[in-house]
Amino acid sequence: MLALVLALALGVTLGLLTNVSVPVGWLTYLGVAVLAAIDACLGGVKASLEETFDDKVFVSGFLTNTLMAAFIVYVGDQIGVRELYLAAVVAFGMRVFENLGTVRRLLFRRWGWE
Amino acid sequence: MGLHDRLPSKDTLVHLRDESTKRLNAQGNLVGRSFNEARLVASLAVGLLLVGFLLVAQMRGHATFTGSLERQSDQNLAIIIQQLTAENNVLRSEIVRLQMRLLEASQATEDRTQVLNEAARELNSVSVIAGLERAAGPGVSVSIADPERVLLPQDFVRVVHELRSGGAEAVSVNGVRVTATSGFASRNGRIELDGTMLAPGYTVIAIGEPVSLAQSLELPGGLKTTLATFPGVVVEVATDDELTVPAGTTAGFTFGTPVEDE
Repeated sequence: MLALVLALALGVTLGLLTNVSVPVGWLTYLGVAVLAAIDACLGGVKASLEETFDDKVFVSGFLTNTLMAAFIVYVGDQIGVRELYLAAVVAFGMRVFENLGTVRRLLFRRWGWE
Repeated sequence: MGLHDRLPSKDTLVHLRDESTKRLNAQGNLVGRSFNEARLVASLAVGLLLVGFLLVAQMRGHATFTGSLERQSDQNLAIIIQQLTAENNVLRSEIVRLQMRLLEASQATEDRTQVLNEAARELNSVSVIAGLERAAGPGVSVSIADPERVLLPQDFVRVVHELRSGGAEAVSVNGVRVTATSGFASRNGRIELDGTMLAPGYTVIAIGEPVSLAQSLELPGGLKTTLATFPGVVVEVATDDELTVPAGTTAGFTFGTPVEDE
């Protein structure tokens, strides 16, 4: 668990140090992609707590979810339904909260607080 | 044999073997599980690292986007456009106004320089004519020999007059400039110009067009011939490309005042 927190902190530090900035045109795409990535990571944590974690599933899910999320927003832009990104945001947002709830409950069980 | 007695029974051996196998399997499972654990942590860590990195990049991009025009609503954009257009118009009219002023100013400067140049030119010619400045240029040098001192002031007046008729711009006699207020006089049988005694062996220098100056004196029946009839008088006229006439002294008005005419 500590290693995961450290990895997140390292990513943030790396981002701050390299001083990257997303081009304005890519903002919506990357925003939704980041949401999908957060969802995938929470799913991974949940699976590991349930002891059903499979790294192949995690990596493929991480990649396809982020890419597809960005792609859906792109398609929405192309066909004139710019609000399509809302669908992705709602779907991933709900999944993030669901996963968060499950992870919380699993952690409580593991730590014997339940 | 005692050795036989010490051997464990078959059951015990089987039990021991099973025990070992179980422990081995358990260990194997443990190895496998920790291996899986490492892969889990590694992949999750990489995923989280990516998430952190992308989050920061996204936040930074968003921060720059917030201040940009693309974020403004259509109404705001319309207002901004209106403001900018109005500002543009004001600036444009100011440019026109300033250009007009620049034009006026440069015209005024031009006029002033023109007036100044003209004034300077006029002043120059006036001061040459008035004899305030040294004058140099082509002209004639007239040497008059009068060993017997028969020449009178009016003869010099005539010489100067003839030269002026021929277009002389500046005239001097024996190094004394003849100005507008100059006068020849006779004192004790000697010729004076503005109070300066003129020694015989006179030299009259006139600046002007050399040929016409020479002609004005050397005309048939002209002044040269007339003067030559006096005893001992010899007049010689020589043209020269570079002659100098000294500056004269001109007294200012004492009794009169300049009157400006319309």
